[in-house]
Amino acid sequence: MRRTAAVWAGKATGALSRISRRGGGTTLPGDVARAIDPDVLRKLSRDLKHGAVVITGTNGKTTTSRLISWLLEGAGHSVVSNRAGANLIFGATAAALERAGVNGRLQADWGVFEIDEASLERAVDEIQPRAAIVLNLFRDQLDRYGELESIAKRIETAMSHLPEQSRAVLNADDPRVAEIGMNLTRKPLWFGLDDTSVAMRELPHAADARTCPRCGASLQFDAVYVGHDGVYRCPNGDFARPAPEIAATHIVLTGFESLAMDVDGAHIELPLGGLYNCYNALAAFAAAISLGLDEAFIADRLRSVRAAFGRQERLEAGGRRLNLVLSKNPAGFNETLRTAIDLAGGRYFLIGLNDRRADGTDVSWIWDVDFERLRGRAQVVVPAGNRANDLAVRLKYAGVEGAPPESDPARALNALISATPTGETAHLLCTYTAMLDLRTELVRRGWAKPYWET
Amino acid sequence: MARHKKTFTVGWLYPDLMNIYGDRGNILTLLKRAEWRDFEARLIELGRGSSKRMDEVDIFFFGGGQDREQALVYEDLLETKQAPLERAVTAGAGVLAVCGGYQLLGHYYQTGEGERFPGIGMIDVRTDAGKRRFIGDVIVDTSLVDVQPPTLVGFENHSGRTFLGPKAKPLGRVRMGFGNNGEDHTEGCLQGGVIGTYLHGSLLPKNPHLADHLIRSVLKRRGITELAPLDDAAELAAHEKILARAKTPDGPRAQR
Repeated sequence: MRRTAAVWAGKATGALSRISRRGGGTTLPGDVARAIDPDVLRKLSRDLKHGAVVITGTNGKTTTSRLISWLLEGAGHSVVSNRAGANLIFGATAAALERAGVNGRLQADWGVFEIDEASLERAVDEIQPRAAIVLNLFRDQLDRYGELESIAKRIETAMSHLPEQSRAVLNADDPRVAEIGMNLTRKPLWFGLDDTSVAMRELPHAADARTCPRCGASLQFDAVYVGHDGVYRCPNGDFARPAPEIAATHIVLTGFESLAMDVDGAHIELPLGGLYNCYNALAAFAAAISLGLDEAFIADRLRSVRAAFGRQERLEAGGRRLNLVLSKNPAGFNETLRTAIDLAGGRYFLIGLNDRRADGTDVSWIWDVDFERLRGRAQVVVPAGNRANDLAVRLKYAGVEGAPPESDPARALNALISATPTGETAHLLCTYTAMLDLRTELVRRGWAKPYWET
Repeated sequence: MARHKKTFTVGWLYPDLMNIYGDRGNILTLLKRAEWRDFEARLIELGRGSSKRMDEVDIFFFGGGQDREQALVYEDLLETKQAPLERAVTAGAGVLAVCGGYQLLGHYYQTGEGERFPGIGMIDVRTDAGKRRFIGDVIVDTSLVDVQPPTLVGFENHSGRTFLGPKAKPLGRVRMGFGNNGEDHTEGCLQGGVIGTYLHGSLLPKNPHLADHLIRSVLKRRGITELAPLDDAAELAAHEKILARAKTPDGPRAQR
């Protein structure tokens, strides 16, 4: 009874929130329903015919969730998922509510939930997932999450509480994630990259978690792929990257357009760019295998996937092509910059930095992003967002001549478009709410659809 | 005859372990501002293990780290860095220590778990553990007399409560934010050639006047007292933006 009341109240809230245009109703309904029945998500999760998958990690949650949903849907399953990146427990609850029927029951085969690192314990307890994926652990929003170490410990606790028949799917290339996996009683399914042709030789400035968990020595890297993710070992032999069962080889990256790689015997190609998306695709592949999908089917289905909101989203704007790429912490930003400059040959840029709660109120991390990469390559760089001035200083010290800082999204967009020749592509690399602000302006001009419709 | 450039050398203590809050911004600012004045700017990275080059350094930078890394640094600091660091500072080198680095230079710091680590005691400060974490924008009215504007802006994120002894003077008084301990309105410390502070953000890029104060104070020993002026419009605009939004009726969060 109580569950039915909670579901109805939540659904009504969602409908109202969309009608009143207060956003997509992606979180608030969860709040309302949980206030009436705190166990509503636990109960709804039990209705799932086959079970659920949870995805956590600093970067790539939304894309990986989308890939897994895409695979399950392609196999004929109905999937409930918190698609809009509302990844706190309330967002997962709201997603489940939206798909619940008039009887208060959730009618779906699978749940695919991306879960904020700090919410994972509760999500594992309530959702009881069949598989839990940890993508990576990078420094992110220290003002909100606290230190990486405390987040890592909370994830470890959550993973140790996974139900018996559940599988942990972990990135072997991330030293801190590997440490979590090695402490688990049941062996995880490891995934990782095995192609040194796409590796960097040195760690980027933003790298962290580089010491051996046993003896404290600085880890030695034989290959660096993304941030501090790579092939590493302790010089004293106390710790090393676990051998991945699901390994990617023969990686080919084509700008923001596509990537290709071989995994086991399968050849995978998908229309997403950048080395960081190799990890997301590989994680989705590993999860899908652990859920019983067929390798050949996975490879075939991935060819036709579409990007998630603000993750390499491509738009037409006044005769220019815009490429929106969420870039919210040093590890992620360095990757999107690398892809935009080195792989896609980008020359026109808008960098958006906000310091609202969802972005992190501390902007010092921009000094760990290698904006130096833009020097001599970018034709135009518009610093935008409410901390555009900080970006302007960062660019100055990187030796990059930026356009005047512009905090107003409409004016920043105008500056970018007027500086980008017709037919060219401009890359918009933005933090979360800076992206929302720009999208609102793009929607107003009829160049983009509201985010809950993507 | 080839003209030899004057050198300016920054020593970065534990760049791989103590670099949590965009500390690279402080390093870049010192190096660039020296380069723009035609100095040959050099960076020496001082990781774990002993270095023979500590006496070449003009300014040491010591940043913040996470507890796990701070514990690793601690032993090495006592073993291989304390003596040469003290020698260099006595000879006129400067130190900028932020957050964790600031705490480690004091008499002791106590962790959240109640464990007490003796510091190297270069500055007359002690740090106790606090329950609540102090997080947010900070504006400081600085006690330095040779800097203009008279404010410093930054971001703090610490649970340590630092108290100054009689030999340490505060770097300034907080107009907004918590500062050293949230009680006595002081922020940071000045003692000899050492500046300790909780401000990152990064600190120096938005406070070019503090960067120049540091550079000037260490070059004095080489007879250089004046620095060529630079165009700081971008830096000071970012500085001013933080001051301006603190003045809005709803305070600093209003414009977020």
